[in-house]
Amino acid sequence: MSFKLCVPLLKAGRASQSTTHHYLDAFFRCRSLSRSLHTVNTHFLTHLGKSPCSWSTSRSILWRKMATNSHPRTPLNAKSRPPYASRQSLYAARNRNLLMYSSAVIVFAVGVTYAAVPLYRMFCAATGFAGTPNVGTGRFEPGRLVPVDGARRIKVHFNADRAEALPWAFTPQQKFVTVLPGETSLAFYKAKNESKNDIIGIATYNVTPDRIAPYFSKVECFCFEEQKLLAGEEVDMPLLFFIDKDILDDPACRGIDDVVLSYTFFKARRNAQGHLEPDASDKDVQNSLGFGDYEMAPRAEIRNAQPGKSS
Amino acid sequence: MSFGRPPSINVGFKTSPPDRGSFPLDHDGECKEQMMQYMACLRKNSSESTPCRVMSKQYLDCRMTKGLMERDEWRNLGLANLEGDSAEPTRTSS
Repeated sequence: MSFKLCVPLLKAGRASQSTTHHYLDAFFRCRSLSRSLHTVNTHFLTHLGKSPCSWSTSRSILWRKMATNSHPRTPLNAKSRPPYASRQSLYAARNRNLLMYSSAVIVFAVGVTYAAVPLYRMFCAATGFAGTPNVGTGRFEPGRLVPVDGARRIKVHFNADRAEALPWAFTPQQKFVTVLPGETSLAFYKAKNESKNDIIGIATYNVTPDRIAPYFSKVECFCFEEQKLLAGEEVDMPLLFFIDKDILDDPACRGIDDVVLSYTFFKARRNAQGHLEPDASDKDVQNSLGFGDYEMAPRAEIRNAQPGKSS
Repeated sequence: MSFGRPPSINVGFKTSPPDRGSFPLDHDGECKEQMMQYMACLRKNSSESTPCRVMSKQYLDCRMTKGLMERDEWRNLGLANLEGDSAEPTRTSS
């Protein structure tokens, strides 16, 4: 039983060998045929305008040429190129080819290097990668700051918090404002320094619900920068904001009618780099930014301050 | 997570700073009058922002005049073509 199975396999093996031979054979036959056709063509073109008798003689010459061409005189591994005078000229042609290709690759690579700079800049501007500021993204273009008449009004509630370490009285001057999408609105907060010293405060803010955060844009406010209040001073802090009209197209924000804007004032201190930052624990600051529910990795300063501990 | 760092790849996740930064503090209360007018208008119109936009424009105009705000065109602040706008001479942006 097994021997019977082996026989067709052996036959198949031999057949595969013969098929390769057959293919090569066919290849060379095709080549020779194409070559003969080529000679026929050239003969026709060259002798087109000549007299019939010359044409007949040329035809006999043609048949003779075809006879010689049908026999493949080139060996198995020759190139389908015109025959070279010597091996050196073949190498010379190959080297020239290689030179052309490598110089083309080099030129292309240099071109790509030059193009990489503006391309990277465009990529950074589009994605904000590696800290690129999102300027010119069209968020605050005059066309976006036009109210959408007839759209539903969104009620923006104002909330004010302060850190316990800050002896200020910080309150909003209006409880809420109903705005149209795209409409810039003004709102006021009042802060009073109730201590006897000049204190620098720094404010953070956050918006709830979270879904509205990408659409809630502030043109100008009093957050993230130091605000120095002299002892006993009371100031009005304005805030110019708008809700982007794309909120009308967002299905997730369809049911939003109330938004809470919450500001938190902290006492400011200078960190090791000399930047002003809130004088409160990380937890409190992140809470005021709306990330109180999120788990945060410890800061690098805190991590590195514990030697011997693996990161 | 450092405070006040520039936006990064997670910029959509974080609160972004305002476009023009911070208003300088009005220590001397130079524009308090316009502010009170605006607040009164808000109270009268049940805290709707649309009727009181003219007041907010006046307030910002006061700030620009007193040097508490950079002067800019109204359309960049979204306050151009307001109804009930008196024919104020539009000043060119600095």
